[in-house]
Amino acid sequence: MTAEATQTSELSAYRGRLAGGWDQLFSESGPRPQQRLLVEALEDLGRDGLLDARHKMGRLVRDEGILYGSQQGEEWIVDPLPVILGAQEWKQLEAGLRQRARLLGLLLADFYSEQRLLSSGVLPAEIVWGHRGFLHQACGIGMPGDNWLPLVAADLGRAPSGQWTVFADRAGTPAGAGYAMATRRLTARVMGDLHHDARPARLRTFFAAMRAGLQQIAPRPGHTPKGVLLWAGAAHETAFEQGFLATLLGYGLAEAEDLVLRNGQVWINAPEGRSLVDVILRRVDSDLCDPLEFRSDSQLGIAGLLEATRLGNVMCANPLGSGVLENPALMSFLPELAPQVLGEELLLPAAQTWWCGEPAQLSHVLTNLETLLLKPVDQTANSAIVGWELDAAAREDLVARIKAEPWAWCGQEAVEVSTAPVIGDDGLTPRRVVLRCFGVRVEHQHEFLPGGLARVSTSDEFRIVQPGRSLAKDVWVLDAEEPSETWAPSFEGGPTAVRSSLTLAPRVADNLFWLGRYSERIDGNLRLLRLALDLALDHGRRPASLGAQVLAAILVAGEAITHLDLGSGDLASAHKRIRSAITDGATSGTVGHAVARLNAAAHEVPDLMAGDLWHVLSQLERLIEKAGRRRDLPGVIDSLIASSLALAGINNESLTRDVTWAFVDVGFRVERAQRMLSVVAHTLGHERAAVVESQLSDAILEMGESLITQRRRSASGDGPRQPALAATQLLVTDRSNPRSVAFQLDRIVEGLLLIGDDDLAGRAAALATRVQVLPLADLFSGPRKQLHTELREQLLELRAIAEELNRGHLTRSAPRRATLSGWSIGTETEEDA
Amino acid sequence: MRQSPENLTPRRYFVKHRTAYDYPEPVTLCHERGFLTPRETPSQRVRAHGVAVVPEPLLHTEHIDRFGNTSHYLEIHYPHTHLEVLKEAVVDVAWPEVDVDLLDQWSLSSVQRIIAANPAYRLSRGMFAMPSHHVSLSSKLGPYTETILAGDLGFGQALVELTKGIHRDFTYQPGATSVHTTVDELLDQRAGVCQDFAHVALAVLRRLGIPARYVSGYIETAPPPGKPRLEGSDASHAWLSVLAPNGSWIDIDPTNAQFADSRYVVTAWGRDFADVSPLRGVIVTEAASSRLTVGVDVVPMAGDEVPELSSLGIILP
Repeated sequence: MTAEATQTSELSAYRGRLAGGWDQLFSESGPRPQQRLLVEALEDLGRDGLLDARHKMGRLVRDEGILYGSQQGEEWIVDPLPVILGAQEWKQLEAGLRQRARLLGLLLADFYSEQRLLSSGVLPAEIVWGHRGFLHQACGIGMPGDNWLPLVAADLGRAPSGQWTVFADRAGTPAGAGYAMATRRLTARVMGDLHHDARPARLRTFFAAMRAGLQQIAPRPGHTPKGVLLWAGAAHETAFEQGFLATLLGYGLAEAEDLVLRNGQVWINAPEGRSLVDVILRRVDSDLCDPLEFRSDSQLGIAGLLEATRLGNVMCANPLGSGVLENPALMSFLPELAPQVLGEELLLPAAQTWWCGEPAQLSHVLTNLETLLLKPVDQTANSAIVGWELDAAAREDLVARIKAEPWAWCGQEAVEVSTAPVIGDDGLTPRRVVLRCFGVRVEHQHEFLPGGLARVSTSDEFRIVQPGRSLAKDVWVLDAEEPSETWAPSFEGGPTAVRSSLTLAPRVADNLFWLGRYSERIDGNLRLLRLALDLALDHGRRPASLGAQVLAAILVAGEAITHLDLGSGDLASAHKRIRSAITDGATSGTVGHAVARLNAAAHEVPDLMAGDLWHVLSQLERLIEKAGRRRDLPGVIDSLIASSLALAGINNESLTRDVTWAFVDVGFRVERAQRMLSVVAHTLGHERAAVVESQLSDAILEMGESLITQRRRSASGDGPRQPALAATQLLVTDRSNPRSVAFQLDRIVEGLLLIGDDDLAGRAAALATRVQVLPLADLFSGPRKQLHTELREQLLELRAIAEELNRGHLTRSAPRRATLSGWSIGTETEEDA
Repeated sequence: MRQSPENLTPRRYFVKHRTAYDYPEPVTLCHERGFLTPRETPSQRVRAHGVAVVPEPLLHTEHIDRFGNTSHYLEIHYPHTHLEVLKEAVVDVAWPEVDVDLLDQWSLSSVQRIIAANPAYRLSRGMFAMPSHHVSLSSKLGPYTETILAGDLGFGQALVELTKGIHRDFTYQPGATSVHTTVDELLDQRAGVCQDFAHVALAVLRRLGIPARYVSGYIETAPPPGKPRLEGSDASHAWLSVLAPNGSWIDIDPTNAQFADSRYVVTAWGRDFADVSPLRGVIVTEAASSRLTVGVDVVPMAGDEVPELSSLGIILP
């Protein structure tokens, strides 16, 4: 078979697998004209090219650290083949989405003010009052410019007729636009040629619109509004996207505890000072946003936030309570509402929906249960029940539940959605596709991300809109008119950094500090273990040798630092223990553990991290895994050290020298200084034979990257003769050696001044002086215990400084509790928190 | 449940409600939401009212909520181990007698249909006929309802039976329940306090499709000569108000097995306790516990006397 025949057969095999409904690629008569470029690309790639693209995509996702899901480390999965939409098709879809967003915004405005639509009977009041997303506490709060729905999303599928059809509206905390952007970046790389030829409409404009739109709801005119993204925390399933979005918008990522609510205003401590927050882009569900008003057990919210919005001091996007629009029951009323509210017919069809709160619709749903999707109105996820999958007992049970609370249920027509090709193990496979489209209101209408984010089921199931491990696909709109970007944000005046303060929110500072410490811990421990491994491989089996004594001393020092058993008592086992001191991520003190903690710290403050960091982190993780399997452990350690150097490079070169960097650097320096003091104290602070001490001095100089300097100095006759003294001078007191204790202390002083803690900087400076003027000649002329004691005291002082830093800058506020009075007679207290 | 005429005469009350929290460690930050002003109702006029808070809040705002209640918001940033919220009001109260015979013109089973058919009650149905945070429609409600109500009862008589039924079937027992107790659990344990009784009654009525709201307020403390002391009078009290087909709201008090009368002072109403809890807060503190002290006085006043409110220090007309 010729190569060409194989390639063509990929497409014909795909065609043969089509199971009905609309297919993105093929019509009855052949490839759709819009899809010509994609079809050609598929022909060119062939089976091998496709599998290669899939592999490359997986690798890129991993390198970029794109996570999705509530399991730790779960990755976003992308199919490299984009879904392609024509310009005309998109234009129509966009107009429909825009109209729908306008309508939903008007409904929301009514729900939280007069509720005329409810009292006039246009809409049953139960749909609003009976929905969990409706928060009556928010009634009476307005939105600037009547922009009730700054952000909106809709889930759509393409019916067999080719018509895009809405399944669900997302108005609470619409998620996914960031994933769309991330998916685009990867797809553009993996499908580089196709991307170049197709020139899909760019996504970046959308985020400019989002920035501008959010600025427009800012309550105080006359200055550059300050926005923050209130995120749901590093453990949330879309945490990656929240961080990514913050970066795209230039917003700080804040947790509730990072924000201060005072006098009805929200403040944030950011690197540029303490400033008033104007706009909160929230990714926390409304009912968790304010424990005073809503769920008192929420730790994700800010007490008083609702009142701050009532006072008009801060605006939330979307406003608190916007989730009420996600009630699927609303969908059955929109076609009737549109002419009354907008004076227009609804442009975009939606899956037909029946609300069981109306007797006629209830009876329709009960009669047609086997053909419908059943949705509870309060659904939090895509928890539709599939009518035709129920057995008799389950059906009976469901009917009873619906009859008991009919208003709480909807039936929805199941649309057979379109298929698109996905790269499977056996080549191109048709899979059902749903599309999520994202809108943001800027000026007086919603702008939509061209295309959106496509999700594809991983199996050939008909039911597609289920959560879980689905694939993402990029969506390309071809030949689109480039938007004019008239909504570039306007800057009037400076930001309102009312009070200049250099402190960061303790949560952020704490993570930055440990980011620095773990970076250095990885590097330092690796160097120590590399040295120990070298020695162990050479001398481990000859315990009586000189080398073995050096090895034992290094292992003892390493054990003191890592609190791991490195085999100082059983030198022959040392190399095995060294391996597990790298790979065993579950045990504190290992390199693997430090990598995991570093990763966790970085994920807590993703908005402050350089993009390259994720590559290095993913590399480190891969190498740690390798270190467990590979025979060539020294080679893996070398690669690990190279990666950790890259880490230090990022910390040094990619962070502005502001307070953010200062916390990272102080952490890094504290860790390095502590390690160096321990190493020297445990090696040279004990009496040893001169030959051992001489070799040991070389060993720790090598570990401290200072052996070459020392050799050069001693060759030119500079510096002390005695090797231990020379090593101590270079590693402890020499301010010009970037590995020395004195050097670290100078940096710590600078960092603390940048942080704004002059007192603590003074204390560190005193220690620096003490280190610099250390009477080495005296110390080395007496018993070594003196040296040990001195270094130990310095170490304790350094720890005390770190502890003080922790107390003053890294400690979170006191716990928050809810109190409630008036449940019962007498004295009683209710504590929810 | 015949109402005695002496409890229906117009009167004036001085209401004083003091809530105090004591903490073993300082509270550094405190946000509070509370309903500290009695509302105007057809049977109640507020002559004067005032609120005093110690330590002084940095911010104290109020607004009218969706149900028409005055809702207060407080922010205290001053470190404290003692928080005190004092609320005082002078109210004129005059409740009408409930005409049970009039209400009996509708059978219980017809009320839902009549209310559902009347467009004027659309919003009331959405607001007050749906389950809510503390009022879930437990599957045990059906069987319980059957033991006290029959569909052919007159509506007025049904309200009487419901009020007396809960009073009879449930034991008044402070401490038996908490804010987390569900209607389901209440129906099992058959004990609770006024909030619980109101919630059970609300659940029974809403299950029948009848709008009913939770009322938070006070009841006069002093027992009339020779009469037993009323339970629930030492603190804020709670009962419920039911929509009748003619649009009037009928207040019933299952805790005391009676209709509300001129001894009842209304603070606020909502779907259930969660909407109108007298004072709820979020505090920042190392303290692991707190002590709550509540003191309520409902004092009848003679003539046109209006006392000086210590919370305000001024006399209102």
